[in-house]
Amino acid sequence: MSRILVWIVLGLALLWAAGNANIGLDKLPGAGPRLAEFLGRMMPPDLSVWPEVLTGLAETLRIAILGTLFAIVLSAGLAVLASETLVPATIWRPVRALLAAIRSIPLILVAMLMVGAVGLGPLPGILAITFHATGMLAKFYAEAIDNVGTAPLAALESAGASRAQLLRWAIWPQMAPVVLRDTVFRFELNLRESLILGIVGAGGIGLHVQTYVRSFQYDKAATVTLAIISLVLLFEGFNTVLQKRFS
Amino acid sequence: MTHALSLHAISHCFDGAEVLQDVSLQIAPGECVALLGPSGAGKSTLLALLDGRIRGWRGRAEVLGNRLPNNRAPERETRLKTGFIFQEFALVDRQSAYQNVMNGRLGRMHTWSSLWGRYGAEDHLKTAIALEDTGLTDLAQRRVDQLSGGQRQRVAIARCLAQEPELILADEPVSNLDPAHAERILELITDAARKRGITVAFSSHQPELSRRFASRIIGLRAGAVLFDKPSAMVGNDDISELYHGTVPGDGLRVVS
Ligand SMILES: Nc1ncnc2c1ncn2[C@@H]1O[C@H](COP(=O)(O)OP(=O)(O)OP(=O)(O)O)[C@@H](O)[C@H]1O
Ligand SMILES: [Mg+2]
Repeated sequence: MSRILVWIVLGLALLWAAGNANIGLDKLPGAGPRLAEFLGRMMPPDLSVWPEVLTGLAETLRIAILGTLFAIVLSAGLAVLASETLVPATIWRPVRALLAAIRSIPLILVAMLMVGAVGLGPLPGILAITFHATGMLAKFYAEAIDNVGTAPLAALESAGASRAQLLRWAIWPQMAPVVLRDTVFRFELNLRESLILGIVGAGGIGLHVQTYVRSFQYDKAATVTLAIISLVLLFEGFNTVLQKRFS
Repeated sequence: MTHALSLHAISHCFDGAEVLQDVSLQIAPGECVALLGPSGAGKSTLLALLDGRIRGWRGRAEVLGNRLPNNRAPERETRLKTGFIFQEFALVDRQSAYQNVMNGRLGRMHTWSSLWGRYGAEDHLKTAIALEDTGLTDLAQRRVDQLSGGQRQRVAIARCLAQEPELILADEPVSNLDPAHAERILELITDAARKRGITVAFSSHQPELSRRFASRIIGLRAGAVLFDKPSAMVGNDDISELYHGTVPGDGLRVVS
């Protein structure tokens, strides 16, 4: 019964989306050739803009690195407050709710608000990344704390270890790979997401993408695209090596 | 200190169910005692209680001359004198065998330098000896999650020896080993204990091995002491009564 209802609702939603929206389906047949022409105009990429692109890319990288760094610091503190094993439910429940609320705000919106608050440039970008990333990272860290096996902990305490020693030699070794994996994952997201920050004036390569596309300089936009792809691939390789080394 | 362990009328409830009932017993320093009893008899509970990891029990217990508190963990001083060998080993998986054994000595170190992994010569020496005694010297740098079950069990024993306890409590230290290994491990623990004058209490499901390696056997059923006598005087009828009329073959694990 309820399954039929789900299908009906899904069907209606599909009909509504396709039928009512003015999405211009009639343009679809002409889109193929147009797209081809568009791609053609990107060839060959105009490599003369390399210096500019490199500067923009470096700024994006700086935003991602600093944003991640600040997010790590904030998350380390918030994770303790969001951990089910370390604090009572009256603390971790509201903290987790707060983190969920932070996660639900799209980055681009945060960035626009930050630009309004502190002006143009990389600073609003860094603040936006910090804010946005903390919502996820603090939750991941808290889960890493909660997933630590209790048996080794009990064993070392029984052997006479102090609280600080337990933290260092029983809890941290179990948490470390998870924390590393989550942090690198979040950094990768930060890097990808900060590529578009320039569109709202929050610094980085996004500004160039915006400028070139708006002024129909597709050959230059192609160079930016290639640069972004290389950066992301480079990091992916680095990440693979890192995960192999610390598992 | 006339007794290494002295229990008077120990009782404990888990969620209203009486798990230990009026247990009284004494163990002399240097003695090696086996704890037998069907599954659920309360062996693990009793050992954990003596290790100071259970709260809210009733009665009076003295461990190595110190009164055991029932509402908090014992003092560090007491904890490091009592070594515990956990049934599931309770090793830190991502650390080397060497570090795991070294962990047993944390209670004897200065907290600050231990946090940076700077250990004294004495700590390195005792760790090396414990690894040597358990035949793990060649595996010392291997991560423990890359060791076999029997090797991990030996690491757990080495950690306990490196701690230099005066009392060893072992919860089924040979439960997941084949008969030959089980024998070797029990020999290892009891030999090391004899050499160092350590008191040992271990639980087991193997009456034959227990009779061979312990000087005394305590039969526990439904949380109460059923018999408590020298190994030589424990007969097959005692064993069969303990397990409700079933006498397990040597090396077989009884599941009631
Ligand atoms: N943490 C706990 N909470 C509630 N009940 C428990 C807990 N630990 C043990 N019990 C109960 O206490 C009783 C005794 O358990 P215990 O683990 O001491 O038995 P055991 O003699 O060690 O058995 P086995 O030979 O199977 O290891 C069992 O009925 C068990 O269900
Ligand atoms: Mg048990």
